[in-house]
Amino acid sequence: MSTFGQLVLSGIFIGSIYALMSMGLTLIFGVLRIVNFAHGEFLMLGMYGAWAITRLFGLNPYVAAIAVVPAMFLFGAIVHQLVVRPGLDKPHLVVVFATMGLSIFMQNVALMIMTADLWDVPPIFSRSITIGPFYFKAELLLGFVVTIVCTFFLRWLIRTTYLGKAIRATVQDGEAAMLMGIPVPRIFLITFAGGSALVGLAACIMMPLFSVFPTVGLNFVLIAFVIVVLGGMGSIEGALLGGICIGVVQSLSSYYVAPAYGQMFYFILFLLVMIFRPNGLLGQKGAATIGIND
Amino acid sequence: MRYWQRFGACLIAAGLTFLAPGHATAQEPIRIGVLLPLTGPFAKNGIENWEAMQIARDMINERGGVNGRKIELVNGDATSPAAAISETERLITKEGIKITTGSFASPLAIAVSQAAERQGVFHWETTGAAEIITRRGFKHTFQVGAPARRYGQVAVDFIIDDLSKELKKPVADLRIALLWENRAFGKSVGDGIRAYAESKKIKLVYDEGYDQFATDMTPIVQKLKDEKPDILIAISFPNDAILFQRKAKELDFNVAAFIGVSAGYSSPDLRNSIGNVVNGIFVADFPPKVNPNVLKPDVRKVAEEFYKRYEAKMKRPPAGHAAAGFSAIWALFTDVLPKAKTFEPDELRDIALKLDLPEGSLVNGSGIKFTNFDWPEDPKDAGQNLRASIGVWQWTPDGNEQVFPSNLATHAPIMVPLPAWSSR
Repeated sequence: MSTFGQLVLSGIFIGSIYALMSMGLTLIFGVLRIVNFAHGEFLMLGMYGAWAITRLFGLNPYVAAIAVVPAMFLFGAIVHQLVVRPGLDKPHLVVVFATMGLSIFMQNVALMIMTADLWDVPPIFSRSITIGPFYFKAELLLGFVVTIVCTFFLRWLIRTTYLGKAIRATVQDGEAAMLMGIPVPRIFLITFAGGSALVGLAACIMMPLFSVFPTVGLNFVLIAFVIVVLGGMGSIEGALLGGICIGVVQSLSSYYVAPAYGQMFYFILFLLVMIFRPNGLLGQKGAATIGIND
Repeated sequence: MRYWQRFGACLIAAGLTFLAPGHATAQEPIRIGVLLPLTGPFAKNGIENWEAMQIARDMINERGGVNGRKIELVNGDATSPAAAISETERLITKEGIKITTGSFASPLAIAVSQAAERQGVFHWETTGAAEIITRRGFKHTFQVGAPARRYGQVAVDFIIDDLSKELKKPVADLRIALLWENRAFGKSVGDGIRAYAESKKIKLVYDEGYDQFATDMTPIVQKLKDEKPDILIAISFPNDAILFQRKAKELDFNVAAFIGVSAGYSSPDLRNSIGNVVNGIFVADFPPKVNPNVLKPDVRKVAEEFYKRYEAKMKRPPAGHAAAGFSAIWALFTDVLPKAKTFEPDELRDIALKLDLPEGSLVNGSGIKFTNFDWPEDPKDAGQNLRASIGVWQWTPDGNEQVFPSNLATHAPIMVPLPAWSSR
């Protein structure tokens, strides 16, 4: 029983980290209707940023978020203007290839500058937290809390603020929104940059848990795509639920079946959800074409 | 004596080359294709290997090259098996390369040797270890480094000959666990350990594969914790090795001895990533540096120069695979190419098969004797080096020391049993 509890607990924690990492992707997909294939490399960039600040100034990577998040916002804005926007009114494949090219470009620039070495930050808390028979890292608990806070913040932002209403209006009907005086291109820009900032936050949370190297994004990007679709393509709460489901399924199946099959089982879950709830766990009907919803 | 013999042979060979008709072409460099992962997930080790090979090239060229001909290395970026095939084909068809070497990782070695064999090119594999490399009936593939099976065997021998005494438990009472990443290298080594352990009547209490790109090690560590092994043998790549060690610390999973097999546990990054808790971990691997007493005197000099140059260039001593890369390509320069006239694959194959170098002939303590469909354990095997050195070294507070087998050892094992996480 304690083993089962440990596995579920670890699954929830790691799942929430996956969710946090895929929220930026969800946001961008939900509003711009494009898939950012360089998402994993955005994560890599954010992690290098957190690592560099930790290393140069001896700061804690969580404190580094104060600099990394705005820097990633800016980076996202630049990428949007240079790479994404020119392709938005072209066939869908243009943006797919543009972001994919960006992904390869970023990987190789990182390889040239940072070499293929793995870099880490020293652990922040030297001991695990022990509650009864359960062990876990404080860093994971903190990641979980940040993910929950982020989810509620985004939900509030999209539901109640003017910006959120403008985003929703843009998603529902871009032309009508424009006629109502909503600056649609700017909404796109802000969303893309905001999604990048979220990845930056995830990167700071992940830096104490994982090593950073030029291809680190590849280890996570597949999970992020699955979470976006599983959660309901554009649903923030769905991403949280999807992430936690994947974390728990992976943890339990790896223990009770075999570690090599962890990935297989979450893809089985993914297929089942796609068969019985084609719009994802919390997605509304036609989520793939409608976009962000609440 | 031997040195002078070789020197004399070189002189005669050089003279003959000079007298031979068309000696003008003899001054053209010998071009060798080097297939290594220079970008992508394996780039780190690939680049280290590439540096080691460049040092070998510089050293041989400073010594006047091979029979007066300089060596030129032409590299291809074998990022993945698919890229390895296309890069090998590019070097062969576009660059006219007739000799290839490389390629660090087993899946890449499998791909490169396949492309080379298909094009009828001589492939001198330095570090790829999967057994299948020499078991496909290929005629021109020679694997100089130890095959995967032997990494595992040396780990098991180390337990039998050394650890069981240090832990004061008979081998039959030791609880031994085996964890392997489930791609070509990890599976190959894992299969080898399982078979060898069975032949030594050792039962494994845990034996499981996992995906190298796994992002959560909790289930694995939890399962191991339930099994309470005394010794864990793990085959991992750098990123998963780090994740595993961190998770073991988080969940307070302790063993009396930890043996990592090559790859991840031999990576110099490990200390940067997990700090001094790396001390005490054993690594079954190509030896990074062996006791110089086992080396032939002329080889000892080459070794000294190599280590000096590598450390000056890379600011750290070479890992086992880089030393193996140097050792193998140096043997190609000094024991194979000088005997070649046409440099055609069939001629090179004959030279390679005639090699009979005792242990201690290569910088990392290896000798060379290749199989040629005549190895009793597997008659389908050709091109495997039966004298490749392999051993166990240990992470120590000052760096690393070779601890097994005793003839290669530079130090006795320390920190056995391994202290619990709470006191490390």
